[in-house]
Amino acid sequence: MTIALSARRGGIAALVAAATWGLASAPAHAASPRAQASGTYLVGVSEPMTGAEAQAGTEIYDGELLAAQRINATGGVLGHKIVLKEEDDACDPQTSVNAANKLVSLGVKAMVGGYCSSAAQPAEPIYARAGIPNIQAAANSTTLTQGGYHNVFLIDPGGNLQAKEAGSFFTKVLKTKRLVIADDQSTYAVNVAQLTAAALKHTSVNVLPIQAVPDTTQDFTAVINTVRSDNAGAVYWTGYFAQAAEFVRQLRAAGLHIPFVTADGSVDPTFIKDAGAAAQGTYATISVLSAFLTGPAARSFDAGYLKEFHSAPGPYSAYGYDGVFALANAAKKAHSLVPARVIAALHHLKFQGLTGAVSFAPNGARVGAHFVVLQVHNGTYRLAPLQP
Amino acid sequence: MSWNTVGPDVVAGLFLGAFFALIAVGYSMVYGILRLINFAHGDFYMAAAFVSYSILGAVTLGTRINWGNVVWVGIVTMAAGGVLAVAVERLVYRPMRRAAVLSLMIAALGVSQILENGVLNIPAWGSNYLPFPVTPPTTGFDLAGVHYTWTQLGIVVIALVLIVVTYFVVNHTMLGTAMRAVAQDRAAATLMGINTDRIISLVFFIGGALAGAAAVMASLYYGQINYLMGFSIGLQAFTAAVLGGIGNVAGAAVGGLLLGILESVGTGLFGPQWALLFAFGALVLTLWLRPSGLLGERIGQRV
Repeated sequence: MTIALSARRGGIAALVAAATWGLASAPAHAASPRAQASGTYLVGVSEPMTGAEAQAGTEIYDGELLAAQRINATGGVLGHKIVLKEEDDACDPQTSVNAANKLVSLGVKAMVGGYCSSAAQPAEPIYARAGIPNIQAAANSTTLTQGGYHNVFLIDPGGNLQAKEAGSFFTKVLKTKRLVIADDQSTYAVNVAQLTAAALKHTSVNVLPIQAVPDTTQDFTAVINTVRSDNAGAVYWTGYFAQAAEFVRQLRAAGLHIPFVTADGSVDPTFIKDAGAAAQGTYATISVLSAFLTGPAARSFDAGYLKEFHSAPGPYSAYGYDGVFALANAAKKAHSLVPARVIAALHHLKFQGLTGAVSFAPNGARVGAHFVVLQVHNGTYRLAPLQP
Repeated sequence: MSWNTVGPDVVAGLFLGAFFALIAVGYSMVYGILRLINFAHGDFYMAAAFVSYSILGAVTLGTRINWGNVVWVGIVTMAAGGVLAVAVERLVYRPMRRAAVLSLMIAALGVSQILENGVLNIPAWGSNYLPFPVTPPTTGFDLAGVHYTWTQLGIVVIALVLIVVTYFVVNHTMLGTAMRAVAQDRAAATLMGINTDRIISLVFFIGGALAGAAAVMASLYYGQINYLMGFSIGLQAFTAAVLGGIGNVAGAAVGGLLLGILESVGTGLFGPQWALLFAFGALVLTLWLRPSGLLGERIGQRV
């Protein structure tokens, strides 16, 4: 069923992509020679703009738009204005590949974006073959840096750090005896689930078999029956927010009031709205968010975002923002927009971003950010009173 | 593998299966009368959920549940689901009445896309997960150490009542006799003075209304709606209809409940990653041993 669904989503999205391609390709091709003449820096953006993850994708894109605006307002990159060319990856592997091919054929000089690791992964070889920087704003599975591609850079720190953070939260703060870890079978969620289970090996926490829930599941009753009969003391959900809301609602309705902890994919205002009263007191592990960053840069980001998009930034907006700045700073450092030179500069980049110091390990993983534990309290996220 | 949860999982499967059954009955009736696998049926369910979301949102102050409102919105939503199904039949399927079944099926896929992307492009609805305006209370009863809510019980009871009423209408009324006549031989039914177009519309209305009822109850229970919510459940309802023997009401109901139980028990025994494999393995086995489905012997009376 899951296969059928994703194949269909991909198929339909491919059709839609093909249709929009037909509509968009003529003006885009016509415009590109003029665009180059007037000194633009064409940057591709691939993000979920439809489907369950559309909200997060839009929020990241808005963060990127704000960054591009600000860079352009202060003279652009080496005199070139950043122009973002957006494509929908629908959080779907096939659609993401189509989007990547389209962006490359439109001649983008770099790619900044990405939210779902399972969509980002199959597009990696396409950007690598094109030889352009592939900066992932929020996709953060460790599998993304294992492909051996020289051009991949993750702004959001990988699952290793998150698993470590989650591990110490369960051992030191919650003092969990028996833990159920559940994922939604997506690349990202499986990665965090397995890394967390590995991190908790040889600790006081007994990790029960991982529950890999299909991403079409709405009814968690049978999973909850297993949680109850396993006598679990806590649940760690590593999937996305829509299912997190259903899971925790049904857990509470079934009378189980054990700690419900999610990974960063479930951190979204939609989770709090849709889970209702059941969201109260739930925890989440996440790399530090702009909402919990202080200082003038963060305040200016919040204000600028609010003014431009009439809402507070989403959890990953700052990662999109830092991604565009990473690209711009690298190009400035390289004194060139030539993709190969920009990639070389990204490898030696170091600057203070909204999400902390931005620099990359040799494989492209983010160095310099750290994870925290959040708690839902009266309808908003706050830092959990006890941090590991 | 753990057998501890089989009991509670069977009960959980009934809750899940009630939704499958309601949607499967509509699938099955439309197939019975037109031989059309109406892939848009799951999207009638989805669209009805959005209608109930908007009406309930407009009449609800705060999040306190007002059961009176839920009941009348439920009835209005059933009517809306029925009207939508009739409109689709009138505008899309009726002009294609003489077309090949395959063309009709492709048209059904087209309708499904139009409905999904239509909902996606309505500004008040859009692509995001929307919280249902009201939340049912979690009060209920304990059975063998497991807590169930009154809402869960109510959903199963209402679903069964609706299916029994539908079964009665199809098998024990003049209208139902007309439906079965049209299903068996449309030309002969016309010659007997039956207004076949009206009967086909009625079948679509009943199917759409049952999908509407499922939509209100599922949205209330799961707490959120999304424009893609109809696809997966529609496919499972179709499977349930085939499992039970597509074309008859009782088969669809039995197939729905059975599929729900198979998925739940499969989850408990082997883990959620095996649940669908377990359930669909059982489906393949059933069709292998009994190609017409569990209650398929009544294929002569299909509606």
